[in-house]
Amino acid sequence: MDDRRKAILDAIPELRRYARALLRDRDASDDLVQDCLERALSRMDNWRTGDNPRKWLLTIMHRIFLDQLRREKRRGEKAMLPLEDHEAMAVHAETSDGAASRDIVEALQAISPERRAAILIVSVEGFSYAEAASILGVPAGTLMSRIARGREELRALIEDGVRRRSIRMVEP
Amino acid sequence: MSTRDFTERDIHLALDGELPDDERQPYEAWLAGNPVMQARAARFADDMDRLCRQVAPVVGEPVPERLAATVGDGRAAPPPRAAAAWRLAALAAVLLAGIALGYLAGASGWMSVEPQAVRLADGAIAAHNIYSAEKLHVVEVGADQKDHLVGWLSKRLGMNLVAPDLGAQGYALLGGRLLPAGDENAAQFMYEDGAGNRISLYIARNTGTRDTGFRFAREGATRAVFWLEPGYGCAIAGSASDAALTGLADSAYRQILGGKS
Repeated sequence: MDDRRKAILDAIPELRRYARALLRDRDASDDLVQDCLERALSRMDNWRTGDNPRKWLLTIMHRIFLDQLRREKRRGEKAMLPLEDHEAMAVHAETSDGAASRDIVEALQAISPERRAAILIVSVEGFSYAEAASILGVPAGTLMSRIARGREELRALIEDGVRRRSIRMVEP
Repeated sequence: MSTRDFTERDIHLALDGELPDDERQPYEAWLAGNPVMQARAARFADDMDRLCRQVAPVVGEPVPERLAATVGDGRAAPPPRAAAAWRLAALAAVLLAGIALGYLAGASGWMSVEPQAVRLADGAIAAHNIYSAEKLHVVEVGADQKDHLVGWLSKRLGMNLVAPDLGAQGYALLGGRLLPAGDENAAQFMYEDGAGNRISLYIARNTGTRDTGFRFAREGATRAVFWLEPGYGCAIAGSASDAALTGLADSAYRQILGGKS
């Protein structure tokens, strides 16, 4: 196996982490990783030596993700959870276990895919703003505002969920 | 030295390590004098920290064959060397990620997590931490009323309980109490050894149908060995070693099963 294939192979666990956090569904996220790997292997020549393999692969994955979103939107499927859906999410958080610790991944699914991706690339995958902007194909300013707004939105969703829970608790 | 005004935007820059070095100190000073922003910064940092911890265990999962095979040299499976490297990498990641309940919750992906397992371990550890530290009110009903205690808890849990004899392991029963466990009830039996070390047996009803072998969870200094049976789960919690807790769990497991037959 050549070095480049080895580097791609080594990146799979982290690609899966990103995809899972992005889509939450295990099979759907592994499908996304597989699509990404297949496209990467067919375009090995585009990979400049010295480029961080994870960065290169995430860039490819993000393009596939955007394509999927567009297709789903065209088909009229819900490409993203509308905000009202966190109603259902809050109920889920109440009945599920470790609710307090899983709240954030739940809330993440309720914000826009673009903001979700920006937060994950920077906060979980640990890329700098410059690298993240390049992976996501947006200007640094756009990236920054996606991160800031996304985090505020997450906070609001979590606090709303907590408030609902405490209201529920005082009802007879 | 920068003397610019800071805004909420800088909270994100600071959190992401994007604040220039020479602005770091003035930013901290600004934050120190601004409790509202300080609280926001702490909440954002906490949110991101939780997010990282929740998604981290995915890295420790075995890589699905189909993904590894995609990258392999057109063969059905990746070469053995790579596969071995994988398992090593996966193991290392599991060890790194295996902190507290995060590992437990993430071991099978947080979507397919067994809710009963997390609730059981979490409940057992939380109850142990609260009550084992009590001097005067460590139990609700003492071991001097053992029959009453076991009868009462059996009735409230709707199952035949036993308070296992852990004397062979050096632990004597102190008593027990009734606890809430979600919508169900749980019972806790507290034990103490000659040196005053306490361990507790936690038994909670649940709606699960599967049984499991012994599993381990840890939160801070408290460890738990737990197992699920159809309809209920048991956990031994304490700050003893995993080996000691497993010995206790094994003894408790046999006695509980024996008591039910």
